[in-house]
Amino acid sequence: MPPFTLIAPSSVEAAVAELKVGAPGEVAVLAGGTDLLFDLDGAKSTARRVVSLRRLPWRTADWNGPVLTVGSTLPLRALEKDPEVARCLPGLFQAVRAVGSVQLRHRATLGGNLGRAAPASDLIPVLLTLDAEVDLVGPGGSRSLPVDRFVLGSRTTALTPGELIRSVRFPEARPSSYLWQRVRPANDISQIAVAAAYSPSEATWRLAVGGIPPRALRLPEAEAMLRSSRPSEEEVRRAAEAAPRPLAIASDRRASEEYRRHLVGTLLERAVRAVASLSKEER
Amino acid sequence: MTPASRAVTLNGRPTSLDEVPETERLLDSIRWRFGLKGTKEGCRSGDCGACTVLVDGVSTLSCLTLTHEVEGSSLTTIEGISDDPVGKAVQVAFERAGALQCGYCTPGFVVALTGLLRERGRAAPVEELLNDLGGNLCRCTGYASIARAVSLLQKEAP
Repeated sequence: MPPFTLIAPSSVEAAVAELKVGAPGEVAVLAGGTDLLFDLDGAKSTARRVVSLRRLPWRTADWNGPVLTVGSTLPLRALEKDPEVARCLPGLFQAVRAVGSVQLRHRATLGGNLGRAAPASDLIPVLLTLDAEVDLVGPGGSRSLPVDRFVLGSRTTALTPGELIRSVRFPEARPSSYLWQRVRPANDISQIAVAAAYSPSEATWRLAVGGIPPRALRLPEAEAMLRSSRPSEEEVRRAAEAAPRPLAIASDRRASEEYRRHLVGTLLERAVRAVASLSKEER
Repeated sequence: MTPASRAVTLNGRPTSLDEVPETERLLDSIRWRFGLKGTKEGCRSGDCGACTVLVDGVSTLSCLTLTHEVEGSSLTTIEGISDDPVGKAVQVAFERAGALQCGYCTPGFVVALTGLLRERGRAAPVEELLNDLGGNLCRCTGYASIARAVSLLQKEAP
């Protein structure tokens, strides 16, 4: 591994200060490290200082009524083991289970997944459908951004120099679903992944697709075709047909463009039906 | 940072990390610095599970972990797994089921399954345990004998 200095500040203020030292490209933030360590080992990393968040008090998950706030360094495994997550945010539970293996999820974090902003992220599509808010802390104080304004592109976020992700907030419980297709289920990234959720407070759907670079996207046209918590067969079919149309999809070694378009429709249809059946059960 | 915190407990023995470079991975510290060669390097990228160790009882990929990130923790490698009654039971089940051929993936499987059983209890459904072993790859057994070992453990569960 190329040389770097590992720094583990014990306060948020100290961490923010450490991030401001040196040129922005020379500092990397370490949460669980399951993605960062690839880069650090390769020639593409220019990091000379690595700031570890392990001593910060952010390994938390707090429910305040229907609002879940997840500290950015909480291992994903903790979310998976919280029965309230599976019950109130089933799409989030399914997406967390789709990330790597149990061993990997014992270290990987929600903040790390967002901050690294991989195009294949299993979490970002679901965060889009749950209207997750990203809480940031930095030299200029704190601010929050909706996740669609936080993730800007492949490996690109709205984080400014010195800023850290403190937590991610989920504003309400939503019937939701996350489905994916892979060449090898246990240890590959998805050819296509879809997320669907129904917002009871707004009486609207959220649909998103992942696995297509540069980043996960909402599907507003398809969303508008679903008119109730239990849409008709016809509405679901039309939304699923419309979903892949606006997407710019490329072929690569994991799947052809044609197969990916097919997957977007098929998986979305299944995900919407799964969410609708959850809404039904709640009546 | 107090100097005392730059240490881990490795299979029950206090072990200093003072000589460990900040860039070193836990896998390399365990194998080359501490000389415990039971933990295997497979893919070195988090896909195969051969490097699995327990950090405070929780299964962890030592190839994707910087050693200094686990300062103050208690580590268990395959060499220490039989000190744990659950780990011992897993070893015996693997032996009885003949759940190995070349043996390269076996330490990772045994440690990962021990961690899972400690988390979930020995009565956890076999299907779920097998699913949660998805992060461990084996290229010889075809997994059938490994699945048999998991079933044996459940049958013996108190």
